Amino acid sequence: MSSQGKLEVRDISKSFGSLKALDDVSADFSPGQIHAVLGENGAGKSTLMNVLAGFLTPDRGMATLDGSQIPLGHPQDCRRLGIEMIHQHFTLVPAFSVEENLALAGLGDSSGLLDRAALAEPSVLAAKRLNWNLDLKARAGSLPVGAQQRIEILKALGGRAKVLIFDEPTAVLSPDEVEDLFRVLRELKAEGLTVILIAHKLAEVMAIADAVTVLRGGRFVASAQIGEVDAQKLADWMVGEMPERAAAPVAETLEGGLEVTDLWVKGSRGEQAIRGISFQIHRGEILGFGGVDGNGQLELAEALAGVRPAERRGWFLFDGRPDPAPVGYIPQDRQTDGLALGMSILDNLLVTGHRKPTLNAGPFLRMAAAVEWARELIAKFEVKAQGPLVPAGALSGGNQQKLVVSRAFDEDPDLLVAVNPTRGLDIRANRFVHEKLLEAKRHGAAVALISTDLDELFAVSDRVVFLSRGELSASQSSLGLLGSESVPTQEEGAGEA
Amino acid sequence: MRFEPALLRFGRWAAILVVLLLVLIGALVAFGLPVGESLRLLGEGAAADKFGVARTLMKSTPLLLTGLGVAIAWRAGMYNIGGEGQYVVGGLLGAACASFLAAAPAAPLGTAGILMACIAGGAIWAWLPAWLYVRRGVDVVISTILLNFVAIQLLGYAVSGPLRGAHEQVPLTEALPQAIMLHHFDPQTDLHMGAILALVTALLAWVLLFRTKLGYEIRISGASPGVARAYRIDGNRARVLAMLLSGALCGLAGGVEYVGSAGQLGIGFSQQWGFLGIPVALLGALNPIGCVPSALFFGALFAGSENLGRFTSAGDTLVYVIEALVVVGVVALQIAAQRRTATS
Repeated sequence: MSSQGKLEVRDISKSFGSLKALDDVSADFSPGQIHAVLGENGAGKSTLMNVLAGFLTPDRGMATLDGSQIPLGHPQDCRRLGIEMIHQHFTLVPAFSVEENLALAGLGDSSGLLDRAALAEPSVLAAKRLNWNLDLKARAGSLPVGAQQRIEILKALGGRAKVLIFDEPTAVLSPDEVEDLFRVLRELKAEGLTVILIAHKLAEVMAIADAVTVLRGGRFVASAQIGEVDAQKLADWMVGEMPERAAAPVAETLEGGLEVTDLWVKGSRGEQAIRGISFQIHRGEILGFGGVDGNGQLELAEALAGVRPAERRGWFLFDGRPDPAPVGYIPQDRQTDGLALGMSILDNLLVTGHRKPTLNAGPFLRMAAAVEWARELIAKFEVKAQGPLVPAGALSGGNQQKLVVSRAFDEDPDLLVAVNPTRGLDIRANRFVHEKLLEAKRHGAAVALISTDLDELFAVSDRVVFLSRGELSASQSSLGLLGSESVPTQEEGAGEA
Repeated sequence: MRFEPALLRFGRWAAILVVLLLVLIGALVAFGLPVGESLRLLGEGAAADKFGVARTLMKSTPLLLTGLGVAIAWRAGMYNIGGEGQYVVGGLLGAACASFLAAAPAAPLGTAGILMACIAGGAIWAWLPAWLYVRRGVDVVISTILLNFVAIQLLGYAVSGPLRGAHEQVPLTEALPQAIMLHHFDPQTDLHMGAILALVTALLAWVLLFRTKLGYEIRISGASPGVARAYRIDGNRARVLAMLLSGALCGLAGGVEYVGSAGQLGIGFSQQWGFLGIPVALLGALNPIGCVPSALFFGALFAGSENLGRFTSAGDTLVYVIEALVVVGVVALQIAAQRRTATS
């Protein structure tokens, strides 16, 4: 393997609609180094790496590998040049054997006849060189996650890899497997490869990286050798300055509200996502939940909204009563959980509306009343649409979100649960949503705002707490990012093969 | 793939009619038939006199009922391909009920009882795949297809065994007494009360889907399982109920054939009406009202092709070819429309 692999990135910009995912980003990556690209969710790290691997075409900018220009936007050509990406979600075919999976990577270059052994050979040689045990006949799907990841790496090494990009490789691994992966990364580095590691966990970066580049909000913040920085410095770079409060919190909170005691919630894979947290949200208060995605935010929101069962009963008191008050819910993903894009605006509003006593009569819907009600909501929330029978998918992102918000506010909810309610919105729609949250609070609702956007949290919340591995902590410095004694882990994953 | 009913709006009916005509002409050309003459024969067979009209309506009746069944299940995202099996089991349970009632067949009550049994039979045959899906995630397409074969074997067993009529030379059930059969409007034609029943059912199905809470829950559960879940709609309940309704309608189709025209069951009772309901529902945009002209179109084709078959080499085959082309056409339209929305 050559010791070439100097990757230079210059002024790359990429927008998705009105969202600037990358804004004039430049960085240098050297061979024989593990270079971490660090940032919060939405910072642009994955976008940048997808650009370098050819999966996305940037709007502007260029990149060179050992002086020759990379054919951005052409993934096959990028591979041929030696840039390989190890995706977070593996691209293995579970039902295929290891050998067949390895052969698949070389299939693009072969003729019509299939010679599995020959196609897999470069990867097998790489495994020999690295002293990795490899059971070529094993079914890929039956292997532990860490082993599957190694096969992904071997697929990459079977080509002409000079640059290996890892997309958050530790996210799916158990602690032991993380240790193994780090050993592998060091071996790859010793081979002279340029290893790029997308990460948002500080402790991991401090443990393994030689150099680090930090992105925030699509912009380049800083690059440094790891010896020149400490975890605190990196954290500051990642999240920026603590924003000033837009408005002082209301001094007098109202009587009553939500009281949550010892809440335990399981995630979709059976893992303990929320671990015995307790908190109060008074009426007239917005409580912000911050923290890095995947620390229980989704499960907390779904438990509060009554979508996901809580494990212990009696956890939920509103105004001292155990029955759930009217809850307004703004789910995280408006395209999958918020709206049925193929259905009309009216049908989308009816998802809550069909239960309203004014809109039904026994088992029947009162359509005339429903249309009238939908028109009123559209007007009140300034949704730009031709009428209530237009498909929701025909609306712009901002108007779609207004629709979701209007539905949550319709019945003057006592409790409002909002998850990243402004993600992907432009400034005007963003402000609109924030105004509505503040309005709900003024009307005496208890508001749970769950967001990964610190600016948003501090702009509208009265108090902010942070979720870290399913537990609450009061301040950002205990985000769980900074623990240097241990690598942040997820308990699950080990047995999940 | 997911079928988006919204992509096939009524505004496209004109375009669809032109396409259907072209498909028809293309099929005639492919069959090597003189186009003008064949169209005339088709038209005459389907609508020239009261016999043609009656044939068209009679053929449309089971098509409409199974089409409605398919539409409701597919709206819930349950791609029920088991209409044929549900139709057959419906007929079978009806025949079993008739053999019980044989002692005292009071006309209106007996007929109603048999039809209820048919509805129950179809619903049971649809409940099984629905339950397997909800409990074990068994793919509905696969299980419903396979249950068709089970139902047809069951039919063969029943008509040659337990339900075989005492005086029948061939495997057939006892013929129903004329008093039990559905009312025939005109003794010269085969048209019976079932046509009205199907039309009323279409209206009821439309009301159910678009004017009731249950219908709404069925539609949203199919259109977006994520939204249904996030807003605490019990998607599994909606899916199971949609399948029950779907099976009930297909079973009713079997019942209407049984007490409407067949009068007794044999191996030949399975005549693909359950499968043919799929193109009816697709052309009808999964809308019960849309299914009415759609069923009439295919019913007319069947009636017309009988006439065509009297004078040329072609027969029912033509209809099946056209049905298949319609399914392909609707799927192609879907994909084209999805591409357009994806790129815009």
